[in-house]
Amino acid sequence: MMETTRSRKMQRSLVYNKLATGTFYGLGALVLLLILWLLFTILSKGLPGLTLDFLLKLPEDMDAGGGIGPVLFNSFYILFLSLVISIPIGVGAGIYMAEYAPENKLTEVLRICVESLSSVPSIVFGMLGLAIFAEYFQIGLTILGGAVSLAFLNLPMLARVTEEAVRAVPNDVKNASYALGMTKFQCIRTVVLPMALQGIITGICLVAGRAFGESAVILLTAGLSTSGEMWDFNLFSPGETLAVHLWYVQSEAIVEDAAQIADRSAAVLVIIVLLMNLLFRIPLWFNNRKLKK
Amino acid sequence: MSTSTQQYVPEDSVLPMKPPKERFSRYVRARMANRLIKYYFLFSILALCFVLGLVIFFIGKTAMLTFAHISFADFFLSFNWTPEEDHYGAAGIIINTLSLTALTLVMAVPVAVGLAVLIAEIAPKWIKNMMRPVLDLLVGIPSIVYGYLGLTVLIPFLRRLSGENLGDGLLAAALVLALMVLPTICRISDEAISMVPKKYREAAYALGSTRLQVMMRVVIPAAGRGIITAIIMGMTRAIGETMAVVMVIGNTAQLATTLFTPASVLTSNIVMQISNVEFDSTWNYALHMMAFLLLVISFILILFIRYLGRKGSDKA
Amino acid sequence: MKIFKKVSLLAAASLVAVTTLVGSASAASSLSGKITINGSTALLPLTLQAAKEFQKMNPKVKIAASGKGSVTGPQAVKKGIADIGACDWDASMDVPGFKAFDGQVANKVAVIPFATVTNKNVKVNNLTTEQLKGIYSGKITNWKEVGGDNADIVVITRAFGSGTRVNYQAKALGGGDIVKKDKNYKEVGSSGDMKTAVATTPNSIGYIDLVYVNSDVKALSYNGVAPTTENVINGTYKIWAYGYYMTKGQPTGATKAFIDYVQSSKFQQGSLKKLKFIPISVMH
Repeated sequence: MMETTRSRKMQRSLVYNKLATGTFYGLGALVLLLILWLLFTILSKGLPGLTLDFLLKLPEDMDAGGGIGPVLFNSFYILFLSLVISIPIGVGAGIYMAEYAPENKLTEVLRICVESLSSVPSIVFGMLGLAIFAEYFQIGLTILGGAVSLAFLNLPMLARVTEEAVRAVPNDVKNASYALGMTKFQCIRTVVLPMALQGIITGICLVAGRAFGESAVILLTAGLSTSGEMWDFNLFSPGETLAVHLWYVQSEAIVEDAAQIADRSAAVLVIIVLLMNLLFRIPLWFNNRKLKK
Repeated sequence: MSTSTQQYVPEDSVLPMKPPKERFSRYVRARMANRLIKYYFLFSILALCFVLGLVIFFIGKTAMLTFAHISFADFFLSFNWTPEEDHYGAAGIIINTLSLTALTLVMAVPVAVGLAVLIAEIAPKWIKNMMRPVLDLLVGIPSIVYGYLGLTVLIPFLRRLSGENLGDGLLAAALVLALMVLPTICRISDEAISMVPKKYREAAYALGSTRLQVMMRVVIPAAGRGIITAIIMGMTRAIGETMAVVMVIGNTAQLATTLFTPASVLTSNIVMQISNVEFDSTWNYALHMMAFLLLVISFILILFIRYLGRKGSDKA
Repeated sequence: MKIFKKVSLLAAASLVAVTTLVGSASAASSLSGKITINGSTALLPLTLQAAKEFQKMNPKVKIAASGKGSVTGPQAVKKGIADIGACDWDASMDVPGFKAFDGQVANKVAVIPFATVTNKNVKVNNLTTEQLKGIYSGKITNWKEVGGDNADIVVITRAFGSGTRVNYQAKALGGGDIVKKDKNYKEVGSSGDMKTAVATTPNSIGYIDLVYVNSDVKALSYNGVAPTTENVINGTYKIWAYGYYMTKGQPTGATKAFIDYVQSSKFQQGSLKKLKFIPISVMH
């Protein structure tokens, strides 16, 4: 009696197991198809007619045939500035949470702070930037305001991914380095960080990708326009980025080819995110290779 | 953390105090750097908290001014949001925000976690190696692109499918958002599942469990904290998403009674109106109150999920 | 941490580059400066065109223009975000629904004609004041009630704060109400949004300034009069308004030069006319 129930149960488990495996695969295929369709839609609409000229030209305000030069430049410029501001602090905070924070109430509060900050909607950072830069400092909508507000947005995500990556480093390795007489910082610098680097870089990738396409923050802090010049490094110029431009073009639609420009901008945004993922990973590959040797 | 080995951190005093004379400076330097860098890391985390304080202070300060002009009940219980006639009832918008987030998660979480399990546990290596970068890419696709596709592809499709006139509304927004948070939730859950030590699985298999049993009873509970983190991240993205939602929700300040009622949520309402208002007007205060509400909602959600997570880990 | 070192080095280098550039950019020239223009999307095409021509003559002047609804203009000027606020009404005076912006000067720049537009699938070609009032107040909800097909009317309107909305309500609807909430009702934030929404939503009706009307949408006659610049000038088409550039006090420097250029007969008779705006001198 006992035997038969057990085997029946086992059989049922096996059937469930097979069903579940099938379902998971089906799910995977479905999502993959959806993603492929998504990419295909974006790229097939945007790629035809995408020329270097389009990437570098100034936008036209009235006539067809404008480009996206300055907004593309602003996108990179603001992203770069925001990363310069946020990486040192974000990564530092992540390391603190993973390595230094003692197990007590204060750490718990800090952790809640990080999580709360990461849950702050981007639009709120936009409003904060607006309040600080436009209302308080009265400098209007600028690249600087956009970059700083964007850095605020990056911070908690960077801290979070760094913490996860650092925590993933096994304690045995750390203990071995301490046994060699290293100080904690030496251990972090020479052992923990190199091992956590892959995770941190993946994290920075995700953050950079998100920041590159962020529009709500930029809309409120850097404005809807550019200074109308290429290579404008002035921190106090208005800093419309490509993502905002996509929104602006599709909603303004003054120029005849607004729809095409929007399609192409969307494709460019997606391609750049793709490239960014690749570029950030190249140093990683070299690193891995070195380790193998 | 499930790492078995304990970490032994040397106190400064444990380090050799009297090194040979000629190498003295090196030791001092190392210890100095050790201490300085600790303060730097501490500074970093405090800077983070400072930013949070800045957000709460700036938004909260302005938000509180709302109630100098209108009563608490007017804001939270009234469904009438017509600022040009001095009616600032946000109840409908708040409820829309909550139902949009719920609808999004209902659609996204099962798919995302299932996909994470597939990638981390079931699929052969080549599928893993293909899916992970693809999902990373999807996380990186700007929200504005999702919104743009929603506007140009999804809405016409929904319009045809449902026979509605507009197609804008909660359903369109939730579909767009679900697709947006899917990779976020999936990728982080995937990481959490992959981090579950192999020996847990081996032990469970050794006891004769099927793969499904191992996953349901061992791997997913062990990765529970990570999965919850993933859902938090997805949720915060959904609740705070602005541009993609603005493009597909219809932007009408009314309670969404059906899936196709043009509606507005906190974020879309703010971004549509913030540039139309004066800094010192009740309208502006009310918009800041909405932003503050967004903050409060996400804080509450996070605390709640943390509480759940702690309960879960106590059981295990 | 070679990568981090490199990144920080790069950062330092670029910051130095930036500061030197900023320094050199402020070097003197005959007319230089930065003009930020915000506000009415109805006036935006004009502003953009004028900015382009003005920058050709004064390469040292940088002009940044964007639009997000009329009230944003004087609002931005007040907040110090913009030097010029484009607005479809005289914001230095009280108008119904909006208080005057104290200390701002209204500089009249153009006459803006507005048009009622529908999706191209709509069969109706003309609407009377009463019919429009009925549609916008929610009393008429089906196209067959005004001589069209049997289909729900989708009402698209601009968000509060739009000068187009203010003027349309006052002049086309005779001050009548615009419905606030309904199933077939949508609010959009800018003129371009309006055009896109009307063009892509079957059975929709909206309103927009004439500049934006092209083959994507259909412009309707109002009380039997077609919306053309000629009909505005000869006084038969009533839905139009002056467009203003609001400034904080009297404009100075580059801002003044720019406004002078927009008001000059060269621009008024040239590009402005080509864009389907009407020179201010004509309406006197």
